[in-house]
Amino acid sequence: MNIILIIVIVVNIIIALLFSLGAAPILVWVERRVAGFIQDRLGPNRCNIAGFRLGGLIQSFADMLKLVFKEDFRAGAIKEKFVFSIAPVIVFASAFLSYMVMPFADDLVIGSQTFVMQGLPINLGVLWFLAFAGLSIYGIILGGWASNNKYSLLGSIRAGAQVISYEASMTLALISLLITYGSINLVDIVNFQGKLLFGFIPAWGVVMQPLAAIIFIVTAFAEANRTPFDIAEGESEIVGGYHTEYSAMKFGLFFVGEYVAMSASSALIVTLFFGGYNLPWLGTATLKEHFSAIMWIIVVALPLLSFLFGRWIVKNNVWPKTDDIRNKETKWLLRMMVLMNMVIIAILAYFLYSGIGVTGTNIAVAVIQVATFAIKLLLMNFVFVWVRWTLPRFRYDQLQNLGWKVLLPLSIANIFLTALVVVGFGV
Amino acid sequence: MGIKIVPRYGKSFKDKLYLPAIFAGMKTTMSHFAKNLSDTSNIKTECYPEMKPQDITQRYRGVHRLTHRDDGSVRCVACFMCATACPADCIFIEGKERRDGIDEKMPAVFKIDLLECVFCGGCVEACPCDAIRMDTGIFSFVAKRRKDFVLDKEQLLAHKSFEGEK
Amino acid sequence: MINVIFLILSLFALMGAIGMIMFSNTMHSALSFIVTVMALAGLYALLNASFLFMVQIIIYAGAIITLMLFIIMFLNIREEHAPKEPNKYINMLVVAIVLTPIDYLLFEAFLRMPHIGDFTTKIKNFGDIKMLGDKLFRGWLLPFETISILLLVALIGSIVLARKRERK
Repeated sequence: MNIILIIVIVVNIIIALLFSLGAAPILVWVERRVAGFIQDRLGPNRCNIAGFRLGGLIQSFADMLKLVFKEDFRAGAIKEKFVFSIAPVIVFASAFLSYMVMPFADDLVIGSQTFVMQGLPINLGVLWFLAFAGLSIYGIILGGWASNNKYSLLGSIRAGAQVISYEASMTLALISLLITYGSINLVDIVNFQGKLLFGFIPAWGVVMQPLAAIIFIVTAFAEANRTPFDIAEGESEIVGGYHTEYSAMKFGLFFVGEYVAMSASSALIVTLFFGGYNLPWLGTATLKEHFSAIMWIIVVALPLLSFLFGRWIVKNNVWPKTDDIRNKETKWLLRMMVLMNMVIIAILAYFLYSGIGVTGTNIAVAVIQVATFAIKLLLMNFVFVWVRWTLPRFRYDQLQNLGWKVLLPLSIANIFLTALVVVGFGV
Repeated sequence: MGIKIVPRYGKSFKDKLYLPAIFAGMKTTMSHFAKNLSDTSNIKTECYPEMKPQDITQRYRGVHRLTHRDDGSVRCVACFMCATACPADCIFIEGKERRDGIDEKMPAVFKIDLLECVFCGGCVEACPCDAIRMDTGIFSFVAKRRKDFVLDKEQLLAHKSFEGEK
Repeated sequence: MINVIFLILSLFALMGAIGMIMFSNTMHSALSFIVTVMALAGLYALLNASFLFMVQIIIYAGAIITLMLFIIMFLNIREEHAPKEPNKYINMLVVAIVLTPIDYLLFEAFLRMPHIGDFTTKIKNFGDIKMLGDKLFRGWLLPFETISILLLVALIGSIVLARKRERK
């Protein structure tokens, strides 16, 4: 155990925490604002700390605080108190644990040591995700059952049937992918996608296995209990589904767990199908080779992008009442952005001047890859939100028809096809 | 009652694939999102306490007012027509003799309990001398105590039409 | 350290197993079964059998017991529906006493196994999916395929049986 090892492990765990737990309030905010914009509304935009609204992000923190301080009410009819209390913990913990194997960056080489950039550096990869994503259903089933409420029970029965039927197709879609990639280790999978197909197309999973991509994304929606597969909640039919009886932070854990699960699903989709931490056409080796060029690009592009973003802020971040404290936010945001630009450019200029060294390049490439992963993750989460506010909920029989009669045969056919191609062409 | 089987909409392969329709729907929502994100002023939502509603018309039934005669005195003759027409029994009138020669009777007390009022406009319809109107445009009336919601004659006379006194 | 974890896990496994036959509420039995299954998964992990650990969680905890819970909830079994078992504990005691010689045999057999008390892994990448796949498909292909055919037969059989009942 040396210092660098400890630092890298701590950094990994912090990144994993940020991507899973830290993402929850941001995702709640994204969900509400995107929903507003899609429906021609504003969404939450009022809450502020000393005038700072950050586009309404502060509202998420206010809501979290509200959930923490609310009265934890438990109806008298609930007999299974232990099960009732542990159910949201299971949902939250399993969603959180399933996040831990996502690789944020390529293996980091410092000196003679190589570090795997995952929360948990194990090579079980996809299996780990499947195991813990599958466990989260216990929270929903037990919560619904322990609530001693018809609607909750209906919700959890629906959730149980849904997850059992969609997990099969999900796993089978994964198997065809694993045949293509030849590994279950997520780092290997992402590095495979860093190559180029025919010399010019990035060999992302979505290009190699489009059918598996569609099946997997659909089943991932079902696994995360997101619309159009959120019949477990189904507030138009069964009140609130499995969390009808929950209040305060117990409900909060279900709520956050849903977003963490969504984020974990997005992370897996990004890792399996959209090249993970790879920038298209820029593999780890290319990045390391041409790093000074990359720095020049950043030095030029960052002020330009900041300028465009600043113009957008000036145009849109206004509050109708002129003497309101919220109107001072734009000025401070612009100042902070200029400061950030200056700091980053100064650092890059220093490195351009003095040279960055091998270890420095490796660390900088890892930082760029983490940023790439974060952006891809955010985009995929946006797709989850976007689909939620576009599609209506499935009817129960339609859901089962889709799962068993369409997705399962398709995924099995895909396995055969993939195996034929792999064996036939010896790829 | 038998089961009615509705023929399924969409028989072509493209319809049965669903994905084109899903992507078309996602395109629509995306266009709304992009339009509103690029310029939030495209959104018609009014940030209410800061922005007042601009679409209050003459026919809007707001808080009541008592109208004035040309010389500024109260137009009401305390005929109790409004109180009789009121379905919520929220108008309380006490009449008294009017000695200034303009008319014979005028209200001594004219109270409207806004907590009881259902804003039906029945009193305005019933009034024979156009003495009570609901054209103040006041759509939100706030007070801290219940008794502050009972408006008396002076308050009602002080209310103005939102388009100015007529 | 490993011994302590082993003791805790095996305690959980035993408690879950005992709970499963002791509870009269079906749901509670199923819940204690989950505890057993998860504890077994932990024991596999202790033995470095990482693939087996994952599969135990995915298949047993993730799928099979979910299905059981689903069916229990679907049938809505209450405690009053369960059959009366007046001499339950006496029966259990009798069975335990009857089984003692077999337990002893098992214990003896276990003690005479080679490498007892030696927890070091002999093979690199032991329990890895690659090793396991290699062994299964190179050395044990016929038994593996036979088992899969057996499973397939069971699957088709269950569907056929379910179909027949439907027609009545």
